[in-house]
Formats: sequence, C-alpha cells, structure tokens
Amino acid sequence: MTAHVDLSLAAPLTKARRRRGQHGLRNAAIVLITVVWVLPVLWIMATAFKPPSEAAGLALWFAPTLANLFASFDVPYLLGSRLLNSVLVTAGTLAIAIPVSTAAAYAFSRFRFPGGSAAPLVLLATQFLPPVIIVIPLFVVFRNLGMLDTRLALVIANLSFVVPYATWMIKGFFDALPVDMEEAAQIDGASRLMALWSVVVPVAVPGIATAAIFSFVVSWNEFFYALVLTRDHAITLPVALMSARTEQGDAWEIMATMGLFIIAPMLVISRFVQRYFVAGLVSGAVR
Amino acid sequence: MKDRYLKYALLAPALLVCAATLFYPLLQSLIYSTQDWNLGRSPAPEGFAGLANYAALLADPDFLGSAKVTLLFTLPSVLLTIVVAMAMALLLADNGRLQVNARTLLVIPFAMSPALIGISWRFMLNPEFGVADAVARWFVPGLDAAPILSDPVLAMAALIAVDVWHWAPYFMLTFIGALAALPRDTVDAAQVDGAGKIRIFFEIMLPQLWPVLTIAILLKTIFSLKMLDQVVTMTAGGPGVATDTLPHMIYTTAFRFYDLGYASAMAWLLAIVMMGLAMLYSRFVMGGSK
Repeated sequence: MTAHVDLSLAAPLTKARRRRGQHGLRNAAIVLITVVWVLPVLWIMATAFKPPSEAAGLALWFAPTLANLFASFDVPYLLGSRLLNSVLVTAGTLAIAIPVSTAAAYAFSRFRFPGGSAAPLVLLATQFLPPVIIVIPLFVVFRNLGMLDTRLALVIANLSFVVPYATWMIKGFFDALPVDMEEAAQIDGASRLMALWSVVVPVAVPGIATAAIFSFVVSWNEFFYALVLTRDHAITLPVALMSARTEQGDAWEIMATMGLFIIAPMLVISRFVQRYFVAGLVSGAVR
Repeated sequence: MKDRYLKYALLAPALLVCAATLFYPLLQSLIYSTQDWNLGRSPAPEGFAGLANYAALLADPDFLGSAKVTLLFTLPSVLLTIVVAMAMALLLADNGRLQVNARTLLVIPFAMSPALIGISWRFMLNPEFGVADAVARWFVPGLDAAPILSDPVLAMAALIAVDVWHWAPYFMLTFIGALAALPRDTVDAAQVDGAGKIRIFFEIMLPQLWPVLTIAILLKTIFSLKMLDQVVTMTAGGPGVATDTLPHMIYTTAFRFYDLGYASAMAWLLAIVMMGLAMLYSRFVMGGSK
C-alpha cells in the first residue's frame, strides 16, 4: 500500500481525515450486514428459550425458560427420537459414503479410464439435477419393498448426493498430492493398495475430513428426501420442524427449540467451514 | 493385485451406489414419464402413453404458469445474490479484525438447514408478532395491513429476499477468494493515476473477475432452479400459485395428487434444461483449470 504515497505536503491532513471517515462508513456497513445476517439466527435461538406466551411476540426481554426443551422431548413432538434418527441417518450415510468416495476419488485421480474425464464429470453433473427426479422412483422402490419410513431408506437416498459430492471433493485433494511418495513406497515393495492405505490416506486426512464435514452438513440438513420417504418412525429433525405447525396453531417455541438442535453442530464447525470453504469451491464440489 | 484390476475394484462400490441411487432412478423416471400412472388408482403403471404426458404439459396452463413463476424467482434471485455477494466481498475482502470476525459469523446462515431457514422466516414474517414483518412495516409505512406471505407479489419478494440471504455469504466467500487472486499491480497503478474506487472496480477489477462471475452466475442459476425446501416450508407455493415453482409443482403432482407419470415428464423437462446449464458449467470449470 506504499505505492500511492501522496507527495504533496498540503494534502495529508485532510486526506487522512477523509480516509478515516470512509473507514468509519465502511465499518458501519460491515456491522449492519453482520446484524442483518446474524440477528435472525439469534432471534430464532432466543425464541427457543421464551415462554410459549411470549414466543409469539416482539419481546426483547423475557424470563428464559427450559420448559420448551422438555415439551419438545415429550409427546407429540418426540424431539429425542427425531434427533436419534438424524444422528443415525447422518452417521450411516457418512460411514458408507466416505470410504466408498475415497476409493473412487483415488481411482479417478491416479488412473486413466475409458472416456477420459467424462466419468467424474457425469458424477458432478448429477448434482445439478432436481432432487425430485430421483425421489419419485426411489419412493416407488421403497414402497414396493415396504421400506418407506425407515432410516435405511433415508441413508440410501442420501448416498445419491453425498457419494458424488464427496468423491469429487476428495479427488480434488488427491489431485493436489504429488505421486512421488506412492511411487517410492511401491519401489520399496509395497503394493499399490498398501501404498494408498499407508502413504496417501494419512497425508490426505485433512482433505478427507473436509469432505466429511461438508457431507455432514448437507446430510444433516437434508429435508426433501426425508419429507417424501418418511411418515412417522424415521422422521429427521428438518422434517420434524413441520410438526410444530398444528391444527391448534403454530407452536413457534417448539419449532425454535428443534431449530436449536439443527443449528448447534453448524455453530461448532462454522469456523472450520470458513477456512476450507474456498478450497471446497475450487474443487467444484458444492451442492 | 494388478493396477488394471485395482482401479476398477476401487471404483466398484461408488459405481454400485450411483447405479442404484442415481442412474436407475433417472432411467426409471424417464420410463414413468412415458406412462399413464396415477398411484392413487393403481400400484403399477397403467399403460404406455408415449409422449402424451409431454404433449399435455406443453398445453397445460398450470405448467406454463409454474415455469413463469420459476423464472420470476430465478432471475431476480440470481442477479441480487451476485450483486449483494460482490458488494459484501468488496467490503470484507481485507484481513482486518472486524472483517475476519464478520466473515466467520456470516457463514452461519449458509450452514443452516434450508428447511429451518424457510420456517424461521415464515415465523418472522407473521403479521401479528413477526420481527421481520415489524421491521418491514417500519421501513415501508404504507405497506398493506394484510400478511406479507398472503400477498402474491410480496410473497415472491420475500422468497427471493430469503434466498439472497441464504446464498449471498457463500458467493461472498468465493468472490473474496477471487479478489485476493487479482494481480495488485494494475490496481495500484490506477490508484497512482488517481482513479476513483468505483472506476477501479468497474474498469480494472470487473473485467478480470468475469470468469469467476460467469461460473457463479451459472451455479446460482442451477441452485435457484432446483430450490424447493424454502417453498415447501415458507409459502407452500402460495398464496394460490404465486410461488408454485416447477420443483414444487412436480412435488405436489407426484406426492399430493400421485400423478407419477405426469410428474416424471415435468421433472425430465426441467432436468433437460438443468443438464444444459450443468454442461456449460463444467466446460467453464474445466476450461479455467487447464
């Protein structure tokens, strides 16, 4: 920033003052933007702790209560069972998707396949399809198999977007790793598979972890497949939100309490997410 | 194991998953789209219909209306998201303490579940006690007393605004990355020549940002065209059909009216458009990385 030092002697004072004014304006704009983006999230989180009588209101001051928390876990909202479904479906999805995607990503990154780069591109392109085109046949299949409203059906449906997504992302990380180490390991007599497991995977752990976190976010937040494929038993948190809209009116404090559980893991990882965000985009792997 | 076998062995599980959860459903819905099939009437397809579903769609005013609604949502949401994201990126590109902290906070809405975003904004736009409704009325005193989400135009505006709110931070981060990659010398030279900030942005930075902007616009167009969660949770397509976008119409046709043949045909028409955009996108991404 020293390139534009002003050499005239009369100017500096007024210029510095003007710059300070500009910075003040810019900082005010930054604060305003942050408020517009963060305040709604805080509002929802605060609503979770408002007594039901004040949830539907503009009260800024209220006596915080944990009553909503207990009410959410009770009949008819059953937050505990919804939470368990979300955890199991997400865990199951990741447990299958990450090893499967890592293997495929390695294959795409290190070997040549007939058709050149067409296969990974087709994989990427499927991410741009409207989910509804996939879910109609899946619904029919699960219906015929009697698997509607099961967690397994939801895991299978989630794999349809998590596997391509994670494969494309991990491939990007493998592409950036030099092949020298694997070759050295192979010269030492290790098989290619051994080299992958003992040399490549340890180095790629940050990349695989990033892909796992992004996969976690999309899987945890997934709403549409769960809406179509579950009714009662296998309902996950995002769909459970809809159950706060009852005939007697909307139980917003319950909705907010459920929202709290959906947001909580995101808050924990948001710092991490930001660090790897651009890396994720560069590899094109964003749903 | 030979590399020749190993590479297919490594790929096999992923291929199996994709075959079962992507390629088979895609093929199956293409077949459904040529069938007469209402699940309410029959548990299996009721007969071959050829292209009758597609022909009926092109003459269906509801479908054409929904296509129009989709465009009315997509165009402003793409444009506004890109403009807002770029403005935010320019404000937050420096690595000052305020900027870094603001960036961390701004990621939170993006990581939020779209369903939660939709239902939260429906709550906050409630005319009796919604905080966003109160703020909107404070800024626009002449606003009609009716609920925002029951006015066709305002409901669409709200849906677009919430979509911009959802996506702008994400594109902001990509633009910040792109801004950081710009060569400093041309900007510095222009500053020495006394060019104003606005001129520097439009005449020097913007031309260099075009590749990134093109990709961002394509990506956001695809995201807008497939946006569904917020429609379901915020407006349910209403009032009337004012926000009944194509993904939502396909969803209700398939799972409320159980017309699987007709819904599949609709889904495929939408998918063809999106595949075109996806091909453009991958061409740009590949071109950029070569």
